[in-house]
Amino acid sequence: MKHSFVHRTAGGLIVAFVIVIGVLLAGVGSARAAKNAMVEVGFVGVPPPNFQNVLLNVQSVRINPDVSAAPGNGKWQTIPVPPGIGNAGRNADLQIDLNASQNTPQIFNTAGVQAGTYRIVELRLDSNNPGTLVPDCPNAPGTIANPSNTADGCISYPIQLAGNNVITFSNADGLIFPANKIMTPLILQVSMSAPVPPTVPGGAYTVTITLTTPPTNAAETGIVTGSVNVNGSKGSGSSASGKIRKLTVTAEAIGTNTAIASTPVKNGQYTLILPAAATFGTLYDLAVAGGADTYAAQRLLPLYQGQQINAEFTGSNSLTGGQTLGNITGTISDNCVATKPIVGATLQLLIPPDPPNPNSSVDCSVPGNAPLCVAVATANTDNTGYFPLPGTISIPAEFENVPVVPKKTPYVMEVTAPGYDPLFVYAVPTSNSKGGTCAPIGSTTPTFGACDFALNTGYITGAIPIEPPVPGQTTLVQVFAEDAGTNNIESALPMPITVTSSNGGTIGYTLNVPPSVSTFDLFATTIDTYQGVTDPYPGHTIVVKSGVTGPAEPSKPGACSTATPTPFDQSIECIGHGSVTGIVGNANLGTSVVLSKQDTVSLDFVAITNTLVQNQLPNLTPSNNYSFCAPADTYQVQEWQLPTPEADATPSSSPTASPVPDTAAIVMIPLPPSAGGPSPTPTPAIRCPTTCENPDGTCPGICSNVIQPLPPTPSPAPTP
Amino acid sequence: MSALGAAMAFSVAACNNQTGFSGSVGNTPNGPPLAAYDILGTVGTPFIATVSDSRSSWTLQGVVPLDIIIANNILPAAIIATKTTSNSNLLSVEIISGFRVANVQSTSAPFGTVSLQIGGTLSSISPPADPDLRIFNSGPLNERYSALVEDVSTGWVIDGRAPTLILFDNPDGKVDATFFGGQDYGSFTLNMTLGGAVVATVVHGPDATIREP
Repeated sequence: MKHSFVHRTAGGLIVAFVIVIGVLLAGVGSARAAKNAMVEVGFVGVPPPNFQNVLLNVQSVRINPDVSAAPGNGKWQTIPVPPGIGNAGRNADLQIDLNASQNTPQIFNTAGVQAGTYRIVELRLDSNNPGTLVPDCPNAPGTIANPSNTADGCISYPIQLAGNNVITFSNADGLIFPANKIMTPLILQVSMSAPVPPTVPGGAYTVTITLTTPPTNAAETGIVTGSVNVNGSKGSGSSASGKIRKLTVTAEAIGTNTAIASTPVKNGQYTLILPAAATFGTLYDLAVAGGADTYAAQRLLPLYQGQQINAEFTGSNSLTGGQTLGNITGTISDNCVATKPIVGATLQLLIPPDPPNPNSSVDCSVPGNAPLCVAVATANTDNTGYFPLPGTISIPAEFENVPVVPKKTPYVMEVTAPGYDPLFVYAVPTSNSKGGTCAPIGSTTPTFGACDFALNTGYITGAIPIEPPVPGQTTLVQVFAEDAGTNNIESALPMPITVTSSNGGTIGYTLNVPPSVSTFDLFATTIDTYQGVTDPYPGHTIVVKSGVTGPAEPSKPGACSTATPTPFDQSIECIGHGSVTGIVGNANLGTSVVLSKQDTVSLDFVAITNTLVQNQLPNLTPSNNYSFCAPADTYQVQEWQLPTPEADATPSSSPTASPVPDTAAIVMIPLPPSAGGPSPTPTPAIRCPTTCENPDGTCPGICSNVIQPLPPTPSPAPTP
Repeated sequence: MSALGAAMAFSVAACNNQTGFSGSVGNTPNGPPLAAYDILGTVGTPFIATVSDSRSSWTLQGVVPLDIIIANNILPAAIIATKTTSNSNLLSVEIISGFRVANVQSTSAPFGTVSLQIGGTLSSISPPADPDLRIFNSGPLNERYSALVEDVSTGWVIDGRAPTLILFDNPDGKVDATFFGGQDYGSFTLNMTLGGAVVATVVHGPDATIREP
């Protein structure tokens, strides 16, 4: 059930960074000349309890030196939504989830401001659509006799603000004091008080939002700083376009190309302010690129709250300037279907981390070594399979600014796409418009040619029983394949399957999957509406099938294999929402909870989704809670744990979470009572269809919540 | 439609006729303003999406960011987008109507899905577009441009930023599009696909025209 689980964790990350978009380099640093001080804005959430999602649509943050500045005051300095969300001059919202940012802050954006003392800050929400609440299901569903809980759970409700859409906080002595060429953090604690439920179906929750800075909860950030020395012709170099990217240091989630924050190198110095899990630690890679200099990378020790790590690119780790820059271009296609481009493929240039990392001389061309390496440049394919996508007018794409190297020391380029095997090749940029040359890895004397490659795939095709929708309605079904026994999803259908009332009770599916994976777990879920409006969580059963043998590798181009497992034994049916919530004992910031469902034939459990344990120490009032919205059914919930990083040891690669023994619990979410139809209903205010409808005209009514603490209370020993 | 857009449309019409466009292309009356479906978030995040109005639907793959516009659309319309990575990158889908965010949904879940609607309830995904004509403007990234996209009977003015995918629903005859980037824009990189096959490619700037053969 990967449907709209907002801000969940990725399985392999040390802590789920609640996303970070602030990075996207185009936004780092304003073009306005006088704004030489940098402010990085982040949010810490304090949500009301018993909500699955607490979403606010943020349009910008403004700061002003004058505590009583009028809205039109000329001294307001704006930190806009980051470039990946909006672009200058365009309305756009960054949606933040207060639930997911209770411990580590969500970085909003970094912008240049004028140096000075700022005494007031404004959080500007979208006045038309300030946010959304998704409540958990009520513990006691409402009845006519007990009408207090007549609002359904696990569906989206709009919010209306008790005040206006601009929330302010001020301090006459000053909130922040940004100085020229210094990065200053501005962490805002955003609190929402107990929301007032709507009085009419489909109405809005009325909420009050307050702002505080510095947060009363711990602002879990750390600093990474250091020097970048460039030997040789510093500041020179050339590119075919005449445009050169600025020398920049980017912090990436360890072992990925996911940028968390980025900053230009100024006067040989850089400083990054990063989310840092209090006593658990957060793991990062640093990638240094740009400036017509050679690449450099480091893998860092764990970063803790309030700590500073000095990562130096000096001495033997210095960069070399004056590089001739070239480009790497080409196409990525499907090895099974002639001329079929792969859209959205990702290409990364990998290099080993600098010494003293023990993997500083690792060969990144060996696929098993890829997790030990750092991505220093990334590109994607367009709708014709061509890479890279163009850069901006002033900032070339990363693959258009690659330092040229000889063929005897080529770059290693990894090509990935969902549903395909990854491919590793050698790549050498060229300084003209030819787009570089590439060679397969494996030969002692690689033959370089055009950087056009085809990725291997295979197919799983099968059938899923389904209860067809009633006439006039449709059900959308999505199917996922994940590595067996894990929560690592490999692929999904390119388009959901549309099911109508004329369906005979079975749907067919065909998934692209990487043939290098031997066994998959499959699950299928639905994409529903609730009374015609977008439903963030499905109301049909999720069906699973474990241990599906994958297709074989293709014997030659075009000769691709198809695996045809037996049909799913479970059927997709209209059952309505439900939720499970609980408290996790002894949790830390590496603890998550995985929701699984049992394959009724193999009896194996298939992981469906996961969530972080939220609101932990050192927050003032920790709750250590988790929650899932899921269709009313029987599941397993279990703690999973990332290994705690060693404070004085650089990790070789990104750690992965594993199940914690004796923490699994079976939970049964009861079916909602029927609403509508010929049967008496406890919830007459609900009209059908809710999330779906049964042939007799009934539909699922108000859902129920189940409380399941973890680890579960041991069952009493049987009496002899 | 903004005054600038309207003026742009008229100037295009005149220009097109002077430069040898045939028939009525460039002289089409303006269609109503269009909603935009903006797929945003962590740049480079791959996704799959299904876009449907009440007449046609399209399936596509892409990476963040991407703006999608349906020319000649019939509301209600819906978009369903699924991340195709197992990381925590953000995928945020916004429907922009009348220069404001009409609806937004986000996900950071591995392979997370978001779905949004505009203009009412779309009870089912419509049949695949036939013909399936798409115009893709891949760059320069993030730069604002205006465009006139038209068939032989109607023209739509688009104010967008690359990369943009324009889906033309049920065109009346041949389709063309003229893009205006303004001074220092650089070059547009455009392609037009029909039924999945590339039928025209143009790299030109600061203005560019692409036509269905």
